Amino acid sequence: MTHRVKFICCLVLLVFLWLLNLSLGSIAIPFVSLLERLGGASFPRESWEIIVMDYRIPKSLTAILAGIGLSISGLQMQTFFRNPLAGPFVLGISSGAGLGVAILSMAGTAFGWQILSGTPNYWAAIVASSAGAIGVLVLMGLAAWKVKDSMTLLIVGLMFGSAASSVVTLLSYFSAAEELKMFTLWSMGNLGNTGWNELGILSGAIFIGLSLVLFSIKSYNAMLLGEAYAKSMGINFERLRWIMIVSTGILTGGITAFCGPIAFIGIAVPHLARLLFKTNDHRILFPATALLGILVLLACDTIAQLPGFATSLPINAVTTAFGAPLIIWLIMKRNFSEAF
Amino acid sequence: METNLDSLRQEQPCIHARNLVLGYENDRQINTVAADVSFDLYRGELTCMMGPNGVGKSTLLKAILNQNPPIKGTILMGKKEIGLLDDQERAKTIAVVLTEKIRSGLMTVRELVALGRTPHTGWLGHLSKTDNEIVERVLKVTHLDLISGKKLAELSDGQRQKAMIARALAQDSGILILDEPTAHLDLTNRFEIMHLLKKLAKEAHKAILVVTHDLEVAMETADQLWIMSHQEPLVSGSPEDLMLEGQIQKLLPGNKWEIDADNGKIMLKTPSVLPEITGPKHVRHWVRNALRKNMDLPLPEKISTTDNPLEIIVYKAQKSITFSSISTMIRFFKKESF
Repeated sequence: MTHRVKFICCLVLLVFLWLLNLSLGSIAIPFVSLLERLGGASFPRESWEIIVMDYRIPKSLTAILAGIGLSISGLQMQTFFRNPLAGPFVLGISSGAGLGVAILSMAGTAFGWQILSGTPNYWAAIVASSAGAIGVLVLMGLAAWKVKDSMTLLIVGLMFGSAASSVVTLLSYFSAAEELKMFTLWSMGNLGNTGWNELGILSGAIFIGLSLVLFSIKSYNAMLLGEAYAKSMGINFERLRWIMIVSTGILTGGITAFCGPIAFIGIAVPHLARLLFKTNDHRILFPATALLGILVLLACDTIAQLPGFATSLPINAVTTAFGAPLIIWLIMKRNFSEAF
Repeated sequence: METNLDSLRQEQPCIHARNLVLGYENDRQINTVAADVSFDLYRGELTCMMGPNGVGKSTLLKAILNQNPPIKGTILMGKKEIGLLDDQERAKTIAVVLTEKIRSGLMTVRELVALGRTPHTGWLGHLSKTDNEIVERVLKVTHLDLISGKKLAELSDGQRQKAMIARALAQDSGILILDEPTAHLDLTNRFEIMHLLKKLAKEAHKAILVVTHDLEVAMETADQLWIMSHQEPLVSGSPEDLMLEGQIQKLLPGNKWEIDADNGKIMLKTPSVLPEITGPKHVRHWVRNALRKNMDLPLPEKISTTDNPLEIIVYKAQKSITFSSISTMIRFFKKESF
């Protein structure tokens, strides 16, 4: 199969999955009604209009944007660090965001202040996690300025992540059960909280992050041969490094702010793209990864809201249940590291 | 009358440096690796750089590539200082083959070679008609055209190395620098790659600098030899001159080993004199080779040999014993030593 055929297959599958995602849930809406609504007719029941327009479409669009952003960030990280286990969160962004939300939701009891007690405020959570993510990014920027070696940068990122997690653990230990539950729910990821307004902001962030990537495709291809070769071919390595940090920061920071830390997509999907498209060329790999990211996250979201369940499952439970076996299978494949 | 070599050269060196000090600077601490490094690299010549590990060969390469500029002194490329060239311009002038192993096993040979066009292509890396023609030509020159569709994971070490060289060639630069391109390769591949480089230097009029530890191959192929040794200036000249001047001995610090001035081979230094050997030249050579490895045995004063059939007659204490192979002769000496 040529790449073109594969892309067409993915697109067809995408349309099908999207419709399936819109139709399934605690209330099943038939495909036919969805297509008729698309053609201009109205739904036979008024409640369906609200379910689809105000809830399911924003949620599916969130899944699409998050699928693109996380998997593209993962691919950038894996190529930049030449490490198959790198993912969008290796620079500590999710831990930073988690720390922000943890302080918002749990620090009240721990320190005896009242920040936002009572009802969990959605926008406050977004601001807190953005602040945490930006804080970690600024620290990583300072580290990147000082440290020139990319492996060291990777380790510093992991250390920042661990440090943030330890603070979160302490906060959890001293917090009240209710607050802990609120934080735990946030950390399970949620695609369903984004309304149309939030979607506007999220898509802006994704657009900026992706535009940066678009202008560095050639540099990422050169990076396949490693840092020294890329430099010898005239690639501005310093610039690429800043593009990588800013782009993944905006993409994953934005997604984590609105949806919480969504696990595994970022690591697993780029491998899936290499496996299916059998290429290392980023001109193919970036669109392929984006498409597969959408497919996987839409599929996971569809599974999470299958009819028969009263409520939908947490998205991270589903992505991990599918992501982990995929990673294990990939690593067990004999030529995995050669093909990377 | 003595003729100055430099005055016979038609052209200016493409890379020129005098009295460089090389090393690393970190946290205000300067770590000097090599001092007094002067050299000229010429187009149309294959230059081999040799020297023991840790003497600063890689540091010199990094200085030429501007990845680690010299602590003192400047490297000129033509009339321009290397550090002042922009990345793109430098990439169009110098291409490299490094020692690090490339993973990216899904990449095909053609894709790898096409990556060499990176400094010449637009922002998306799209290949123009000219770019494609250059890629095809390079594949043909390196005899990779038949396996151009293969993925890197499927190649042998020799093919992979040739593909890396082809990538550097596609960069279409006047200068080509290779760091140990023949390490881990078998004998045939070693010579094949060096002769390919030699051919490229001559026919494409490139300046080719090869770092190698393989003295035999260097003596066989190099036009120029650069020798770096600890605490000493870089020595350059034709391999033959350096051999006769005894400069090549610098590659072997200590006095355990020596280089045979007849054939450029590295051998254990022989403290005592070998027996007098007579007979056909090649038989003499291999008998001597065997004796050199067994200097601890009680050797005779005289050995005479004949060819077709092989006979080795050993004269020892007024007796003569005839052997039909070198190994039986050595076995005899071993038995005697008990």
